[in-house]
Amino acid sequence: MSTPDQNVKPSYATAKGFCLTAAFWMVVATLYGFIGAIEFVAPDLLGNIAWLVFGRIRAVHTNLAIFGFVTPALLSTGHFIVPHLLRTHLFSERLGVLTVILWNIFTAAIVITLSMGMTQGREYAEAIWPIDIMVAIVFALMFVNMIMTIRRRQEPILYVSVWYITAAVILSLIVYAIGNVIWVPGTGALTGMPDAVILWFYGHNVLGLLLTPLAVGIAYYVIPSATRSPLYSHTLSLVGFWSLLVLYSHIGTHHLIQVPAPTWLKVVAITGSIGMIIPVMVVLINLWFTAKGKLGLIHENIGAKFVFAGSVIYLFVCIQGPLQSLPQVQRLTHFNNWVVAHAHMGVLGFSGMIGLGGIYFMLPKITGKPIFSRTLADFQYWLVLLGMAGFMVVLTMAGLVQGHGWANGETVYRMLPQLHHYNIVRAGLGMLIVTGAIIGLYNITRTIFYKPGETA
Amino acid sequence: MNLKMTPAVIVLGGIFILAVIVFTVVYWPWATKVEQPSAIFRVRTAEEAEGRKIYIANGCTYCHTQSVRLVDWGLGAERIAQAGDYVADRPILLGSERTGPDLSQAGGERPDDWHIAHFINPRYTRPNSIMPPWKFLGMDKINTLTRYIQGLGFKMADQRMERQTFWKAESIKAYEAGPNENVEWLHSHIPEGWRNVPNPYPTTEAGLARGHKIYQDFCLGCHGPVGDGMGPAQPWIYPPPLNFTILKDRGVTGGILYYQIMNGITGTAMPYFKRDLESQKIWEVGDYVAVYFIGESDANKEPKGIDASWEP
Repeated sequence: MSTPDQNVKPSYATAKGFCLTAAFWMVVATLYGFIGAIEFVAPDLLGNIAWLVFGRIRAVHTNLAIFGFVTPALLSTGHFIVPHLLRTHLFSERLGVLTVILWNIFTAAIVITLSMGMTQGREYAEAIWPIDIMVAIVFALMFVNMIMTIRRRQEPILYVSVWYITAAVILSLIVYAIGNVIWVPGTGALTGMPDAVILWFYGHNVLGLLLTPLAVGIAYYVIPSATRSPLYSHTLSLVGFWSLLVLYSHIGTHHLIQVPAPTWLKVVAITGSIGMIIPVMVVLINLWFTAKGKLGLIHENIGAKFVFAGSVIYLFVCIQGPLQSLPQVQRLTHFNNWVVAHAHMGVLGFSGMIGLGGIYFMLPKITGKPIFSRTLADFQYWLVLLGMAGFMVVLTMAGLVQGHGWANGETVYRMLPQLHHYNIVRAGLGMLIVTGAIIGLYNITRTIFYKPGETA
Repeated sequence: MNLKMTPAVIVLGGIFILAVIVFTVVYWPWATKVEQPSAIFRVRTAEEAEGRKIYIANGCTYCHTQSVRLVDWGLGAERIAQAGDYVADRPILLGSERTGPDLSQAGGERPDDWHIAHFINPRYTRPNSIMPPWKFLGMDKINTLTRYIQGLGFKMADQRMERQTFWKAESIKAYEAGPNENVEWLHSHIPEGWRNVPNPYPTTEAGLARGHKIYQDFCLGCHGPVGDGMGPAQPWIYPPPLNFTILKDRGVTGGILYYQIMNGITGTAMPYFKRDLESQKIWEVGDYVAVYFIGESDANKEPKGIDASWEP
């Protein structure tokens, strides 16, 4: 196999492409979320506009958050650090750019079809069959690019980030195909309770085997690089990686504790959920001990700052997760805004923050220029962090209000007015995040395209 | 630890673990399922199935669960969901959030005209609702969607629908016979004991204020801001919402109002409120209607027993 000429600087077109993809769709995704939040406060404001009705934009928002914003953000950095760590170039930038283009086509297709009411009606697996096929093909192409890059490596040892990113791409391909019941084109679903089991196997692993390993892989690169320190422990890396694959992937049924799913499956899911403390704490101990005493260096680098904040939210969300799997806790937290808070912490707070951090850490390295505006990046950091922390507080409170009200025999309708104030605050916080996304799009675009010498 | 992490170990090891897990927690429960249809199960009609597609296309499932849980007894649940309820559902629509109420037993709880007014604009019948208006779907789709909703609960829904249909005809007959006959018919279906009970609470400013709030939150959409039955839902509902102002000197009592608010009037769009409102709220909204719209209240009249200690 030919080795790439180390004197030729790669174009990093794939990393840049995914970076712009993420920055653009983050604006759209958060805008959809914001519109949804507005509709909770003023349901007639955008009344009778079919493509903006809450039931449709809710799915657009979640799909864009996962597949439009966070995954491309993480893949962007992934396509840079895998070849970088292996001291080679990406196998094919042309293939990489093709995956970027296809990625944007299917993301746009998801928005259009869901807006038209073309959906399979399964949470996070809404996209219709032709789009499912396209997603699977893109993941397969990406895997080819990754594995061929690994084969051309000049560095014999695979660093932990490479494990996570490679595993994420191939395992997500499998999880996506199974979870979307890709062999049944018409409905993309099984029948009855097994459909719920397979759906939540998928819904859980979109986070567990796609966003989490990508984000952890990037954190494993950014934290040691930014603090200029060797990784604390290779053993912990191994334990964290394999325990994540074993534990995270089998506990999706904890979404079904309160419905008539098989009891043994619930027991397995709850036990594994508690076990999730292992892969999470192992990774965090490894990262934080690496950074121990060097937080100044983290603070200095805006990318590392985002990543570190993401790692802290990872702790919150993954302590909350196991607790939430306990039936006694779910009596209060299930079916209400508590879970919405949890989802925002996982996707926006943990993997989204690390996605943005990876981008800001990588951009100066691949463009050879500093970030266009550090001030704007800092501003975005605070907007997203405050918006996110606010969501966490407000939605958790709203969820508890709902949960306690229902437990006390109040009907859903009776509890609605009690949520009004929280919904207003939620929409206000959403505005922070949309603003952050717009600033990010501007800053990232300018960083890639501005000519040296220009100033902010 | 010294496991050599080669590309093959990562990729094949990862796939192996995932394969074992998929086999155990996804394939195994599917292969060993012994789901028999539950006692209430029946096959959906073609129209109901069509309505279900509209339900899916518009994402109703993101705000409405279809799964009554063991912990829902406090909400008035009469039956807990069983796996056999879902044997024909593809996809299954358990839902993950209850921004709106659970719908798995919604069929026949209310008559069709209530649902249609509610779909045109949810605030017509439920003033505090935050559900989007569905007028844009057009009447055909709204009707089809209503068929699906009225089938939720299968055989139990059919039983409730039969009752709705029977009493709908009766209530229309009574309404069309004229106000005297209508009021007489309405009162004749209140148990004798209830008919003779005056409102046990005295009329107070605070009580009227509380009643006013309940009226706004629950009654206004149909009965209108001045109690003349001309709320925004009125054009969609037949027999139309009752005009309270005709009730004076027609023998209405606090007990009659209480019973009607608590249990609703099956067949008409008047729902029961026993799950939404506790006793005092029902008495107070009844007195609010009596004082402001009917113009006569029997509050605190004999027989009332010993005055409660809080009474002014």
